[in-house]
Amino acid sequence: MNPPTRSPTAAELLADPLVQAALDHAWLDSQPGAPPDIRHEEGGWIYMDVATGQLTTRRAGRGILDEIDLSSPPVVFVSVVVGKFHTHPNPRAEGWHTGPSPSDLLMDAAHGVPDLIRAEDGVHVSGPDSRRGGLGGGPGFPP
Amino acid sequence: MTTATTSGVSHVPSITCDKALEIARLDAEKVYRDLSRYRIQITVEPDGWHIEYWLKNPRVQGGGPHYIIDATTGAILSKTYYQ
Repeated sequence: MNPPTRSPTAAELLADPLVQAALDHAWLDSQPGAPPDIRHEEGGWIYMDVATGQLTTRRAGRGILDEIDLSSPPVVFVSVVVGKFHTHPNPRAEGWHTGPSPSDLLMDAAHGVPDLIRAEDGVHVSGPDSRRGGLGGGPGFPP
Repeated sequence: MTTATTSGVSHVPSITCDKALEIARLDAEKVYRDLSRYRIQITVEPDGWHIEYWLKNPRVQGGGPHYIIDATTGAILSKTYYQ
């Protein structure tokens, strides 16, 4: 494989089977059909190996009903963070907004990578279309 | 922490700030339970009291409830539960 020349877009991440599987697993682990004291947010980060272009994912710690901490992605060997993902397991029927919250929008802009948010009505995208500044800038979120 | 401001309102609302906060709190507790995670921002606007719960922890992403409460009747005109 040739080294990648750019960071994947949100659409490219969403089309990747590995990312789709990570979103599906996170969604199931959120227990979206369970009562409010059980269902919770799940999520993690998407990495690209800068030598091969291969994507991998890592999961964050379990969130709670309406929040999750995605602020500290672990370092993955020869890889940079190119996206993150989390779930919104609470249903519209109970009055919940399924898309990104104002807090999500602020955090996603600050973190500088696309955020794929899995909810009952599909996947919402927040943040930039691809990693800010490309693949440079270190292994974590871009500067 | 609660922050209260006023803007563009030409009359004194008959529903007080404290009463509007109580109306919002009673609804929010049913859904979010622990409200100690939030700071509250309240403003009175031409369409009523705007009450927004924002997460205190700057590291997490998520949401809190946002309300518009009629300043005359105390009715909840709109509410959004962010996650």
